[in-house]
Amino acid sequence: MTIWDQILSALRAAVPAAAPLLYGTLGEVTAERSGVVNLGMEGMMLMGAVVAFAVTQATGNVWLALLAAALIGALMGLIHAFATISLRVNQVVAGLALTMIGTGISGIMGKRFIGMPPRVQLKPVPIPILSDIPVIGPILFNHDVLVYIALLMVPLMWFLFYKTRWGVSLRSVGEDPATADAMGVNVFRVRYLAVTFGGLMAGIGGAYLPIVYTPAWIEGMTAGAGWIVIALTIFSMWDPARALLGAYLFGGVRILQYRLQKLGVSPPLLNTLPFVFTILVLLISAGETMRKRLGAPAALMKPYAREER
Amino acid sequence: MYKRILLPTVLILIAALALAACQPTATPAPPGVQTVEVTRIVEVVKEVPVAEKKLKACFIYVGPIGDIGWTHAHDQGRKIVDEQFPWLETAYAESVPEADVERFLDRFIVEEKCDVVFTTSFGFMDGTLAAAQKYPDKIFFHCSGYKRAPNMGTYMADFYQVYYLNGLMAGALTKSGKIGYVAAHPIPEVVRHINAFALGVREVNPNATVDVRWIFSWYDPAKARQAAEAMIAEGVDVLAFTEDSPTVVQVAEEYTNKGQPVYSFGHYSPMAQFGPNSMVSGQLVHWERIYEDILMKVYLGIYTPKNLENVDYWYILGQKGVELGGDFGVPINPKFEAPLKAVKVTDPLLGEISVYDLVFKRLEQMTDPAVLFDPFTGPIKDQQGQERVKPGQRLSLYELTTIDWFVEGVIGELPR
Repeated sequence: MTIWDQILSALRAAVPAAAPLLYGTLGEVTAERSGVVNLGMEGMMLMGAVVAFAVTQATGNVWLALLAAALIGALMGLIHAFATISLRVNQVVAGLALTMIGTGISGIMGKRFIGMPPRVQLKPVPIPILSDIPVIGPILFNHDVLVYIALLMVPLMWFLFYKTRWGVSLRSVGEDPATADAMGVNVFRVRYLAVTFGGLMAGIGGAYLPIVYTPAWIEGMTAGAGWIVIALTIFSMWDPARALLGAYLFGGVRILQYRLQKLGVSPPLLNTLPFVFTILVLLISAGETMRKRLGAPAALMKPYAREER
Repeated sequence: MYKRILLPTVLILIAALALAACQPTATPAPPGVQTVEVTRIVEVVKEVPVAEKKLKACFIYVGPIGDIGWTHAHDQGRKIVDEQFPWLETAYAESVPEADVERFLDRFIVEEKCDVVFTTSFGFMDGTLAAAQKYPDKIFFHCSGYKRAPNMGTYMADFYQVYYLNGLMAGALTKSGKIGYVAAHPIPEVVRHINAFALGVREVNPNATVDVRWIFSWYDPAKARQAAEAMIAEGVDVLAFTEDSPTVVQVAEEYTNKGQPVYSFGHYSPMAQFGPNSMVSGQLVHWERIYEDILMKVYLGIYTPKNLENVDYWYILGQKGVELGGDFGVPINPKFEAPLKAVKVTDPLLGEISVYDLVFKRLEQMTDPAVLFDPFTGPIKDQQGQERVKPGQRLSLYELTTIDWFVEGVIGELPR
């Protein structure tokens, strides 16, 4: 195999590696845009994974499995929304609790699936014409449907965020809920929807693991992906397009470390790179002016109560 | 029946040995404390059938019991002894961070009133030793470490012989001559297994190489997939691994079903069902053999909080602590019987022999109580071509458990 083939194969491998991260990040970006941090990503992804595997085993239908994973993710998002928006609980604490609950319940639910191979699995579907394009074809257009959906979600969400009324409401709620409220935006509804949607995406991202990437139920199988998503959300500066970049950067670095190991590049060092980038982004965005320009929602982590206006 | 007669005999023998080893001055029985010790032990043995004595054994695991690997295997062992001994009660804590082990040990001893605690990760070693000193009347057993105390023993079931057997098959099946190993952490245990595997590979295929990729995690399915795929992209067509999920087996199966055969060897738990067309064999463990032995001896009073200083279990093929195969009772996937029989090698002692027969011959030799064969028998050269084991010599147990160099044929540096 030539070096060129190696590079192609690495780029190709990075795309599915990044898919669960992309789903999670798009979800978390939406939630945080509305002003709610959800540290329950890991738990929601695990629940998505275990429910997806359970439904796959019961019905043999991956689409039902995906639907169920999305629903359980959404349900957990809804719980977080209720706790943080209606009860105005500390968002960090509620999110951590969600992760613990998700880790624990998925472990218990998954006990009976340990050691079982999946009944069905999503297979790659090359897109006719597009997959024949040299270089780009095999890298982007020779994957499973979930990868395509994730890729399509990016422009779609970008459009929703920046070009629609709905996006303006979402962003204004995250920046200045009191003003948004005065302008007639239903702050609670927007936040509820955003956080629930975040959970839904996390559920799908989690489901990607047992039905595509590592097809089995293994306890704690996300192995920290949910936390990488949190870092990625900051890295992406709450922007769907940059979320794509970030997810592929993280995915790519993970792929690369095994290809570069032979050349003597230290994997732990390479592994820290995305986090170094994240810290850099944080440092740059720490200043108030930069923070505004880079787009951290101003009302992030601040519960909103009408009477305190 | 045979076992019932055997066990007490062995126990008495070991008791005698343990006493002899631990208290060399006590055997001639001069008047003093030691003599009192001995009578006390004998009394306990007599008591057993009469008194309704109970024993509580607690287990501290580093991973989730659902990992299909290390922790899962330990928990299988726990379940078996729990069912086997009516006088035994067990408890466990899973996914315990290595830094937290002392807290869990405190809880198990003080609140759960455990009599014996097993800690099953190398990283638990110092915490277990600290607890052993804190609670001198309780019994502790630490898996895979080397520090012991009067009330703390060690135990390990090791795969190196089985990895060697897997290596023989890998060497016979590779077409590209490139074999891959997805490795967890660069510690002696993993290095020993990679070396044993490579020794097997090179015995049947002297030009083949074993490429190693470290994932720096005992358990991370996504990383295991990425490391495996990276090596397959470089032309590797047989994979072995140390990681607690069946991911590598599944990746090999995927490629095989796509028409690019990649073979694999399962690790720790029965993984055959994850790779029906591509998994050749693997390594299986029987922790219950060790747990049975330890708990029975504690129950009978042979092991006390005073005589464990020299108790170290090293269960390999001979003790039936480990097994060759991808599923219990299936040493080689029947699909690979014909291909392995087709490859012939010439052994200086056995003459011309198929790899299939060689595997079973070696298995028989290593299972023999006299251990007629050991993979780490010289001459063995390291990666630089320097002779590390002289012809005819075997590596000692100490050398095996501290090994920090790769044998010839392994590609990749050992991270330090």
